[in-house]
Amino acid sequence: MLTPYKKRLAQDLDRWRSNGWVSEEGRSAILADVANSGRDFNLPSALAILASVLFGFAAISFVAAHWEDMPRLGRLLLLLASVWAGYAVAGWLASKGHDMFADAAILFSVAMFGASVMLISQMYHISGDPTDGVLMWWIGALFAGVLLRSNPALALAMVLVCIWSSMKTLDRNEVHWPFLIGWAAVTAAFIWQRWCPGLHLSALALSLFVISLGYLLDRGHEHALVAILGLVAAGAAIAAEKALPEFDSVAAPSLGYAVAVAFAGLYGLQFFEDPTLGTLIALAALTLVLLLAAISYALATGNRGVLWLGYIGFSLEILSVYWKTVGSILNTSLFFLIAALIVAGLAYMALRLAQRGPGKEVAA
Amino acid sequence: MSGTRRYFWLLLIFVALVQSAALFKMVYDKDRLLKDGREITMPVKPLDPRDLFRGDYVTLGYDITTLNKTNAPEGRLADVQTGSIAFVTLSPKPDGGWTVKELSTTYPKEVASGDVVLKGRVHNAWGGAGAYDKVLNMRYGIETYFVPEGTGRALESKVRDHKIDAIVAVGGDGTAALKGLIVDGERHVDPPLL
Repeated sequence: MLTPYKKRLAQDLDRWRSNGWVSEEGRSAILADVANSGRDFNLPSALAILASVLFGFAAISFVAAHWEDMPRLGRLLLLLASVWAGYAVAGWLASKGHDMFADAAILFSVAMFGASVMLISQMYHISGDPTDGVLMWWIGALFAGVLLRSNPALALAMVLVCIWSSMKTLDRNEVHWPFLIGWAAVTAAFIWQRWCPGLHLSALALSLFVISLGYLLDRGHEHALVAILGLVAAGAAIAAEKALPEFDSVAAPSLGYAVAVAFAGLYGLQFFEDPTLGTLIALAALTLVLLLAAISYALATGNRGVLWLGYIGFSLEILSVYWKTVGSILNTSLFFLIAALIVAGLAYMALRLAQRGPGKEVAA
Repeated sequence: MSGTRRYFWLLLIFVALVQSAALFKMVYDKDRLLKDGREITMPVKPLDPRDLFRGDYVTLGYDITTLNKTNAPEGRLADVQTGSIAFVTLSPKPDGGWTVKELSTTYPKEVASGDVVLKGRVHNAWGGAGAYDKVLNMRYGIETYFVPEGTGRALESKVRDHKIDAIVAVGGDGTAALKGLIVDGERHVDPPLL
């Protein structure tokens, strides 16, 4: 399967070849090199992983049905046999060199392990804390993921850590700090595996956790803390990008998550608290300026993720302010006037900066 | 998975063994508690059933689910907060059922014969300051009874109309497990697995 990058590279190479910048040999060599590099996520493997996920849901529903025609011991042995069968198939597939299929089989086994935990909980009417079952499941998934170096099992572990934590949070309506232990353990495994999609999953999970703090700490009035954490993280990401260019591949995506967290905090301050009109306008102006700064930084550094987040945040902010102030049309009008002036001013400044750039070169 | 291929079979067997052992320990612990634990019965108050991923179940409430000054020693209520572990010492009532004799944050040193100690977790604690009396909402791990699909509603109405008692096994450390139900004097208990 062609990734977007390979597709674009092939198109660019054709153009460079016709311009005479690249030789025909060079073109073929580059394409061959790109084709052989990396472990591609092809369609059969993706379908195999999806099948494992569906098998998992089937098993969990089978447990939930509490089917009495089969004795309890029989049901448990069936699930246990599925765990072993999955690992056996994984070994066989790995020995044939089908690593991605082996990963799917491992994922299947980890799912069956979770279904077994649920069946035992059900057999013994273990109640109160279904979260203990999920805790055992994510530890089992992490264990298998690390020992067998299986990325899908690790991804499942991260998802289960999030489910575990959300259940605890909903049950007690307070911050579930042990989330950080599970998160750190799975993230360490992702780093060890050097698996980029997993790290994105980690960043997403941590961002959601930080945003949830705003709604849980201080009886749901800690959005300022979320905004500050997001801004500090954004500052750190930009500083890291400048100071350590070799870690650009980590710093650039991190900035996207930091911007999202900061925006969520500022958004909470404006629309989930009850600020006075003056505070609301000040916060809205601050949010828009920060989003514009993020957009311009993203344009300057070619950070597409931050660029899109900036656009989405900007639209969401404008729409929300409109809804919030819709009662007073004059205020709405005033707000949009101020916003328009700020954006127009920034556009003018950006234009001046852009003109000065090449101008300097001419002068020098 | 590259790099681990030589030991891959061994690792697979190791992971499968450890996961199986964890499941076995879960079964063994519960089975032993049900077999060896002291058996008591408690009257049940019904609540609501059903969960998509866990199947049909009936949530059971007890007299000791809610503790306040009417059914627990008042002075002790102040010691516990939401999330803390509490040990509840129960004395049998002459007409069946149980009264709360003692509430403590550690397992009581002396337990009178006939009394039983349950280990619970404070799910929610509120009040206790000023004019409001402190109320504890307790969980003992015996609140969920799983039933075959489609039978939850029937059992629920039975709980409303009939007298139902829960059969609870209590371990030496106060851990409780739900063994079964007595509906209209009829015992419903699953046989031990092992």
